Parts: sequence; C-alpha cells; structure tokens
Amino acid sequence: MKLLKAIIRPNKVDDVKDALAKLNISGMTVTEVRGHGKQKGHTAIYRGKEYNVSLLPKMQVEVVVTNTIAEEAILAIVEAARTGEIGDGRVFVLPVEQSYRIRTGERDL
Amino acid sequence: MLPDEARREIGLEILSGESGAAALDRYAGRIDAEIVRLHAAARPPGQAVALAALGGYGRRHLCPYSDIDLLILFGGPVGDAEERFLRRLLHPLWDAGFIVGHQVRDRDDVARLEADNPEFLLALSDARLVAGDSMLFEEALAAFRTPRVRAHVFTALERLIDTRHAQFNETLYQLEPDLKEAPGGLRDVSAARTLAALTDGALLDRGEDAGRLAQAEDFLLRLRSLVHLERRRNDNVLGHEIQEKLAGLLGYAGASARQRVEALMAEYFGRARAVARVLDRARRGAPVPVAENLGRTRDGIGFIDAPKAAAQPETWLAAFQSALDAGVSVSDGTLDAIRRHVDRFAVGDVLPTARHRAALLRFLAPRQGLYARLSEMHDCGLLGRIIPPFQAITCRVIRDFYHKYTVDEHTLQAIRNLERLAVESEPRHRFATLLRELESPELLVLALLLHDVGKWRDEDHAEESVRMAEALLDGLDVSGVPKDTILFLIRHHLRMSQVAFRRDTEDPEIVREFSALVGSEERLKLLCLMTLADVAAVGPGTLSKWNEDLLWRLYVDTYNYLTVQYGDDLIERTQAAAAECVARRPADLDAGEVAAFLEGLPRRYLQVFDRHAIYHHVRLARDIHPDEVHLRLEPAESVWELTLVTLDKPMLFASICGVLSSFGMDILRGHAMTNPNGLVLDVFQFTDAERFLALNPGAPDIVLHALEDVVAGRSTAIDRLRGRQSGLRRRRPAGDPPVARVDGGASRKYTVLEIVAPDTPGLLYRISHAIAARDCAIDLVLISTEGQTAIDVFHITKDGAKLTPADQRALTGDLQHMLEDNE
Repeated sequence: MKLLKAIIRPNKVDDVKDALAKLNISGMTVTEVRGHGKQKGHTAIYRGKEYNVSLLPKMQVEVVVTNTIAEEAILAIVEAARTGEIGDGRVFVLPVEQSYRIRTGERDL
Repeated sequence: MLPDEARREIGLEILSGESGAAALDRYAGRIDAEIVRLHAAARPPGQAVALAALGGYGRRHLCPYSDIDLLILFGGPVGDAEERFLRRLLHPLWDAGFIVGHQVRDRDDVARLEADNPEFLLALSDARLVAGDSMLFEEALAAFRTPRVRAHVFTALERLIDTRHAQFNETLYQLEPDLKEAPGGLRDVSAARTLAALTDGALLDRGEDAGRLAQAEDFLLRLRSLVHLERRRNDNVLGHEIQEKLAGLLGYAGASARQRVEALMAEYFGRARAVARVLDRARRGAPVPVAENLGRTRDGIGFIDAPKAAAQPETWLAAFQSALDAGVSVSDGTLDAIRRHVDRFAVGDVLPTARHRAALLRFLAPRQGLYARLSEMHDCGLLGRIIPPFQAITCRVIRDFYHKYTVDEHTLQAIRNLERLAVESEPRHRFATLLRELESPELLVLALLLHDVGKWRDEDHAEESVRMAEALLDGLDVSGVPKDTILFLIRHHLRMSQVAFRRDTEDPEIVREFSALVGSEERLKLLCLMTLADVAAVGPGTLSKWNEDLLWRLYVDTYNYLTVQYGDDLIERTQAAAAECVARRPADLDAGEVAAFLEGLPRRYLQVFDRHAIYHHVRLARDIHPDEVHLRLEPAESVWELTLVTLDKPMLFASICGVLSSFGMDILRGHAMTNPNGLVLDVFQFTDAERFLALNPGAPDIVLHALEDVVAGRSTAIDRLRGRQSGLRRRRPAGDPPVARVDGGASRKYTVLEIVAPDTPGLLYRISHAIAARDCAIDLVLISTEGQTAIDVFHITKDGAKLTPADQRALTGDLQHMLEDNE
C-alpha cells in the first residue's frame, strides 16, 4: 500500500476528488494547510505598499491506495491539479506497512 | 405680618399635638400672602416676572427660622427697572426679619438648565408659583422636565446624597443628629421624593413606603421646628441639652430625664431608619431618565409608564436604542410588555414616519451590544414585526453538514461577527479596517438581516431573499443606490466565498470577472465583510485563518483591479449595461447622445453611477465647447458634490483642484474620467472646511465662476492660491509616511500612479500640479480618503503613451520629495 500525500491548489480539490473517484478511490483526508515550495510566496501590493505573502494557502489531500493502482492514482492527481503555473503543488508517495479498520479490528491486506 | 408672632404660633400648634406638616403649611401660606402683597406693591416692571417658592418653602414645609428661598424669574434681561423692582420686593421682607435666599434668573438662563448648578436644579424640582406670570413659570418648568435635564439632575442628586452621607460617616445613628442633613433626615425625605418626581411618579407607592415616609417627615418637621424656636435661629442639630428639653415638652414617658431622652431618641432612630430604607429602595429602583418615558434601572432600560408605552408602539425602538447607547439590556418587564402587545400592531404602527424609519437604520450601525439588542428584539417579537421576512426564518432548521444554528440565529451571529470587528480590531485587524472605512455600515447589517430570509423555502434562497427584501426596503424608505447595494449583497452573498475558496484566484481572468461583478471598492468591502461575517457564523471554527487568507487575497486582487487596472476596460455601444442605459433614457435625451457620451468611458462608470446620475451627466455634456465648463454644485448629506464637464486641456485637473483648495475645500472622494474624444467628467465630494459655502449665501456662484474663469484661462489656480500655500503646508499631518508608487505594467494604456499619504489641505492640487509639471496628462483619477489618509490613483500618459522608466523615476522623485516636504 502507498500513502499519496498531495499538496495542491485549494480550488483543485474537487477536480482531484472527481479524478480519483473515476478510479474507484473514494476515501481521502483533506486538510487546509499553508506553506511554500518553489513558489516561495509572493509580494502583494495594497494601497501602494508591498507586503509579503510567504505562506500560501494550499490543500493537502491524503489517500491510501494499493500498490497496483498507485501509479494510476498519482497520474490522475497530477493531471487534475495541474494548471501549468508555478504553485501547482507536489505529490509525495510513502509506503504504508499496515492498516486496520477501527470498528472491526480487521487488517487490510 | 410679624415673623416672630407667626413663629410662636407654630410652636404652640406643634406642642398642642398638631401635625408638623400642617403647622408649617399654614406658616408657608402666610408667607405666600405676604409675598403676593409685596409683589403687587413693588409695581412689577413691564416685562413678565414670576415669583416662585423653592426648596422647603416650595414644598410648604417652611420651618420657623428657615431661609425663604425665592426664585425671581424675568422674561428678559435684568436692567435698572428690574433692579428697582427687586429692591421694592425684598427690602420689606428683610426689614421684617425674614431671612430670604433669592435667585434671579432670566428666560435665557432657563434655556440652558443643564449647565446650571446642581443645587439650584434640585431646588427647582420643588418650585411652586407664588405670584406673577404663570406662563413664564410653566415655560421654566417645561425646560426642567426634559429627559436630558432630569437625567442631569438625577445624577447630581445621587452625587450630593453620597457626599452628604459621607460627612456623617454614612450612619444615621448619630448621638446629636442633624435633623436636616444627617442620613435619615429631612434632606433624605426630600431626596426620595425628588427621585420619584424625576423618574417614576409611582416609585414610592410600593408597600408602606409612602406612609412611613410621611410619618417620619412629620416627626422630623416637628422636632426641627421646635429646635429652631428654642435656638431662635436656623440650627438643625438635636444636641444633648435640647434633647432633654424637647423630650419633656413633647411628653415622652420616663421617670428620669435620661429615660425620656432615650424614648425620644428611640423614636428618632426608628423614623430615621424608615427614611433611610425608603431612600435606599428608591435609589435602587429609580429609573434614570434617558429618553421620553424611558429610564435606566439596574435591570436595564425600561418604560417608566408601561401602560402608556404599550399603546405607543412607535416608542418601542427607542428603548433598544437607549439600551444600545447605555451598553445595557432592555429590562425584562419592558420586553414582556412588548411581547404582550406586539401582535396588535403592524410595521406601520412601529415605524410610522420617515423619522422613525431613519432611526431604525441608525440603530443598525454595527457597534458593541447590537447582537444582544437584536436578539432581545427578536425574542419579544419586535424584530419580526419591523422586518416581517425575518419571521419566516424564526427557528428554521436547515440540515446540512456545515450549519450549526437555526437560520435566524445564524443571521444574528453574522451580525455579531461584524460587531466584534467594530469593537476589537484584533485578531482580524485588516477586516476591521475595512469596516471602519464603510460609508454606510448599517446597510451591511440590513443586508445580513435579510440575506437568508429566503431559506423559508428550500429552493434558491438568495433570489427568494432578494424578492422578499425588495418590498421591505421600499417600506423602510431605502431606495436608489442604498437599495441596489443591499439587493446586490443579498443576491451575491455566496459569490465571494465561492471564488475565494473554490476558484483559482491566481488566474487574472477570474479576478477580472469578479471585479466586473462587484464594480466598486465600496461594494467590494461590503461583500468581503458580509462573506467574512456569514462564513464565521456558520459554526465555531468555520472561518479558519486559512479561509481568511484566501478571502483577503481575493479582496486585495480585486481592489487592485478596480483601482489600478480598470482603465483598460472601456464601455462599448454593444455592451448590455450601456444598451440598457440608452434604452431606458428619459424623453429629453436622444439615444445617440447617450450612447456617444458613454462610449469610451471606463466600464467602471456604469457601476459607480446610477442611471439618474448618468442622464444628468449627459445633459451637462450638451453643447460643450473648448474653454467652457458645465457645472453643478449641490449639497450631498454632510458634504458638497461638484459635477463638472469640460474638454480636456493641459493642467486642467490641477487647476480645478487648486480652485477648490483656494476656498478651503477638502476633497474627500471623487472620480475624474476622460473619453477618447477628450470629454472630461469630474465628480468631487468635498467638505467645506472653512464654512465658506455654509456662511455665505452667494458662495456657490462665486466658486462656480472661479472654476469657469480658470477653465477659460482668465485666471490661474496659482494666482488664487498665492498666500494660502504656506499656511496650508504648516499644518503637520499625522500617520504613516507617504508613498508614491508608479506601476507601468498594470494597464495596457496607462502608467498608474498610486499615492497613499496623510491627508492635508491642497494635497490633490500639489500632486496633480507635480504630474502636469512633468508634461504628463491625467486621464483617470480615483480619489478616496480613509480616516486621515488620502488614497489617490492616477492613470497618466505622456505624449499619448505610457511613461518611460526614466520619466517614471523622475516623477516618483518629484512626488516623494513633495510629499515628504509636506510632512
């Protein structure tokens, strides 16, 4: 199993969700986060004065998938979240050792 | 009448068992008769004069050696004739041995009663006409009875009581008590009665208070009269020696003098205690008068005469306004009274006149306590009566994943969020600043009250809310631009959160579309604050810092578009809004005339001016020729508005600003626009800082002629400003350092110059003069003032093109130097 952790633009959450749904991936965790990557924030101007927006609002989508569809899921996220501009975000892929369902105690394979 | 003879009679009457009050009443009557006789004999002067008894004499409780307090009130100024009259009136009284304390006032003094000394005002509360002009006397009393004066007297009385009691260590158990001044003494009796008279006439009617007070007063009056007669002077202390004598004279039981004194003093302490208790209860229960039939008690603001208020629904809103002003709640009793009667009345009964409807709008301005007062109003049914659509969402449950409250409470919580912004800047400082900048924040509250009323249905609630709001706003006299603004806010109240949270706001097209929807900075601020308040009211934590950042970012991007980038979007004939404006023109305007006027102006124009104003501008633009200017100057609420149409020429904008500055006008807001044919439309709003327009009847024409002369080249602004410049610069402004920022990339056609600087007289003239001095043309200007800060955005060109980097640097240097020199 893999944990896909995608940092994406806030307005791309629905697109990513729809793209994953097409792969029958429905469970996900979405978190409001702030940060910067290469984009490193930007300078905004308001009433003649510059101010720095160093941490930009982003969404973090976390989804656990089987190894077999991980690659497909990553591609779906990348495609759905892309605008082609700086600030589109990143997808991190982490191995998952085990997973249990809390209600039943059942272990996922 | 000989005073000694009269005084002796009082003593005999009291010792024979007569009531003290009755004996003194007869004595006061005899004094009255003497004064009536002397008044007639003194030959009153030509003007109206009234003689009134004050204090104890006014109450007809004149003790034998007390001062005879007289108010001599004249209808006009006091001159020689009045002085002679006073001598003829007062000298015989003094000669006869009476001690007269007299006060002379004229009608003007009475008109400023709250500025008078508290002791006099208190004495006036017992005033009684003895002789003279009753109309003049009633006029004085009418001034005394206003809620403002009564509140002033009430406060003064409370302070005087505290000060007096402090002199006796706040205890009535004095071994040698002062019968007048000590706690539980005659002054306290009078204070309790005055409190009732000033506030609630029925204040002392509870239980046995009135009876106990009257008995104690009679007892104290008897003792005081006997002390006066024993001492043969105005001495009120019941000393040890006199206690012994009076205990015997009054027949107190006891085998020894000591036992008789103890019996006397036991009764004294019992009576004084009764007085102290009644006064204490009166002080706790007395409603401080705050408005007509409204008083403030420890329970909050309430009706003083509840049955009267129940039949006058037009007075109900004032209770909530007074509570808001005082920072307290409306009393439970008053809320109950409204609850019981509210169903008998319609909105027209509660808000019958334009004055009442305007009062409602004033009430809605966001400030501390508004949520609590609106909640009380809702709870007692008044809010639903005033704003009938609100009834439709009372306790309305909408089940979704987000909302935590019923629709009505969500609405009130949204208003509470605005209130918090108004009260405490942190932690949402940037949004609090926007709220302070709003011209009419009450419109935002009204829009919030109505934004979800359409949720009584399950379909598109925003449109239903708009439908319900339209009729209501007409009934509240909200029309024109304010009405359009409220309907806009209701219709689009979800739009900004949708764009900010769900769209890619880094896409310039998204911002451009949103800017086109919003149209003006004022609407943007309103919608931004409405979104913030609405989202935060969905449930705890719904508006995260993360959401706030997204919202603020969209606000800034849109603000910048509206102020810096709007110059590239011009009106085209085919544009729907322009076509509608042409189609709905009044009969005196030609279709081609309207279309030609609009074409080429920034699109912003159609959004910041309503059709009525646009047609007016078209008429002004008719038959305009070079060097001519067509003008209109009119008052607009607290400011003046100048609308001006002319044809463009060098230095034009600077000249116009210079003329206004030369008359001391402070330009607060405005637009200057130019179309491709060189037609210039300027609209300025300014304050008449030196009251030139206010104080001189012909002043508007003088200003207009001066503008015509400058535009025609017959004079220059510099000539007019000579001698004024140095004076203007001497005034040092406060605030952040000034900023002059040039942006060459924001617009395709223009170089955009943004000035943010402390507002000073003549600032706009100096900026525009510096721009013109660099041979730059001013094509568009946005003028705004936020608090003490001027925010001006100029769209400029040089030789028909954007400025080169070298020109930009030179101009920025000039402006920065000028602005810093101005500091």
